[in-house]
Amino acid sequence: MALYVQAIVNGFLVGGVYSLMALGLSLIFGVMRVINFAHGDMMVWGMYLSYWLFVTAGVDPYLSILVTGSAIFLLGAAVQKGLVNRILDAPHEMQILLMLGVALVLENLALMVWGPDPRRVSTTYALSTFWLGPIVFDLPKVATFGLALALALGLYLFLKKTDLGRMIRAASDNQIGALLVGTDILKVFTLAFGIGAACVGAAGSLMTPFLPFSPSTGLFFTITSFNIVIIGGMGSFLGAFVGGLLVGVSESLGAVILVPSLKEIVSFILLVLILLFRPQGLLGGSR
Amino acid sequence: MASRGKRVGVDRRTVLKGMGAVGAAGVLGFPAVLRGQIREIKIGSIQPMTGPLAAIGKSTRQGNQLAVDHINGGGGIKSMGGAKLTLVPGDTQYKPEVARAETERLMGEGAHVLVGAFDSGTINAMIQAIKQATKPIPLMIDIGAADQLTQQGSKYVFRSFVTTQTLGRKGIEYMLEMFKISGVTPKRAVLLHVTDLFGQVQKDRTLEWHKKLNAPFEFVEIIAYPTTTQDLSTEVAKAKAAKPDLLLAVTRLNDAILLVQEMYKQRVEVQAIMGPGNPGFYHPNFSKTLGKLAEYTLDNVPWYNPKSALTQKVAADYEKRFGEQLTTDSAWSYQGVMVVADILERAGSTDPDKFVEAARKTNIKEHVTSGGNIQFSENGDNIGASTAMIQIRDGRARVVLPKEIAETQLVYPVPKLWERG
Repeated sequence: MALYVQAIVNGFLVGGVYSLMALGLSLIFGVMRVINFAHGDMMVWGMYLSYWLFVTAGVDPYLSILVTGSAIFLLGAAVQKGLVNRILDAPHEMQILLMLGVALVLENLALMVWGPDPRRVSTTYALSTFWLGPIVFDLPKVATFGLALALALGLYLFLKKTDLGRMIRAASDNQIGALLVGTDILKVFTLAFGIGAACVGAAGSLMTPFLPFSPSTGLFFTITSFNIVIIGGMGSFLGAFVGGLLVGVSESLGAVILVPSLKEIVSFILLVLILLFRPQGLLGGSR
Repeated sequence: MASRGKRVGVDRRTVLKGMGAVGAAGVLGFPAVLRGQIREIKIGSIQPMTGPLAAIGKSTRQGNQLAVDHINGGGGIKSMGGAKLTLVPGDTQYKPEVARAETERLMGEGAHVLVGAFDSGTINAMIQAIKQATKPIPLMIDIGAADQLTQQGSKYVFRSFVTTQTLGRKGIEYMLEMFKISGVTPKRAVLLHVTDLFGQVQKDRTLEWHKKLNAPFEFVEIIAYPTTTQDLSTEVAKAKAAKPDLLLAVTRLNDAILLVQEMYKQRVEVQAIMGPGNPGFYHPNFSKTLGKLAEYTLDNVPWYNPKSALTQKVAADYEKRFGEQLTTDSAWSYQGVMVVADILERAGSTDPDKFVEAARKTNIKEHVTSGGNIQFSENGDNIGASTAMIQIRDGRARVVLPKEIAETQLVYPVPKLWERG
């Protein structure tokens, strides 16, 4: 029994970061209708920045999210302004090719700059845990979960309460309408891609205290985010959030109930079921 | 036709080229022989340079390169008029389909021999490409253990590395010896393994020899997980629930780090963490990244022979050239190219069939790795190849068994992960 509770706890804690990643992807898709296949690689760059700040200046990764978030925001905005804006009207497969290209460039740049060796941010608390009865809680994972939740809430409030946020939502809901009321749509796109990228960059930093990483780490997270967003509902805020937790917990439980080598199958089966019976996603509205 | 057109206009370049050729013939005196001679032998080095095994690909490529440099520095292949070796790089990306395409590309570009490629699954794809080629060339597997690689009926495939049969047998043999030395015998073991081709085969061989040699412990849980895993907390929770005395693991590098971190966090108490054949535990980055937590980890691995003078020279040159310690991966890939050079020297030709013929007569006494003389069996396996049991001590992997090449005393059972200050 303790094993199942433990699995659910682990799944939840991992799921929180999944949610933050997926929120970024969902935001970008919701506004531009472009799938950011470089999502995981942007995250890896967030991780390397945190690592670099930690080893050169001793900045704690939980603090450096401010820097990495901003840096990856700029990266995302630059990708949008320089590349994606040019092919907004192109067919989906061309957009996918472009984003895969960006992913390859980012991964191999990381390989050039940092080399292939896995890195780990060895903070003093990296291996700290606390116990509630027989259940172990990984301290950095709990902290990461909390911060990811806080960032997600911040993003939610930003989108709901501020003018910029309203502009982004307007562009997402009805582009022509937004144009008609005088929204500078290209500016909104740049901003939205930047924020989406910042989310995943920050998620990257948040994971460095417990996850060793290398340039090839990105692909797994791109696929996971994509999977979550489809399960939760493309472009749905709450969907991405709930989807992240759901995938985290189902993978973890799958590893206990089935065998761990099948744990990824669980989330993909979930994906297939969703596509079959609820193609708009768990919380996606019909479009 | 084209040549006639060229001959019409004799320009400065043609004259210079002609002068060069006459000059060369004049110096060496035997233009007829010279024309038949090859000046450059292309060794295709196919390694996982990008993707999840990139860190290892770097070591293996460096090993290949150092051997090429040593051969060329010593005057090249003398039986072929001092022909120089050139390393032609290829990258598997740890993907079978890419490995296959790279093999075809290098064959097309005129490579004479291939070496590679660390991961058994990708090597398998390379062998298929060689088997289907109209002009197949020899492959020397410098690292790659899965038994079936050399059992596919291709005479061009050789392996200077050990097989999983040997790895499986030696792993259990060393364990039995360790229990005897320490007087402590575990009852319950958990085996965690990654599910790529190597991980699967290594698990099977471990279980097979565990039974054949009547090992005194039983496997209470076998946990398989995918190569892409970024979190092992649940796997470790499952292992802990099985209450093991001994934890055996077949991992790659990243998951090896994750595994030990999780065992520390979840306070899993075992007599030792041991690899029955594990490419993650002996990697320098494992101990560099984990520090004290990596200490005392045991691993049964194809190792280099720390006592051999040749190894010491290679290690010194390696460190000078690349600024890193010689790893066992680089030692075995160094050796792969050295064996190829030895065969070419005796074949006196780059003809694939002559290579095969000469390879069968190989008998190398002085080499850098664990095990006896390098000789090839009927299906191309190195009969002499063997392993050593190493233990991480003071941040470095040290040989504890076999006794002939041991560098330090075995510590078993090991101190608890969380009581190491």
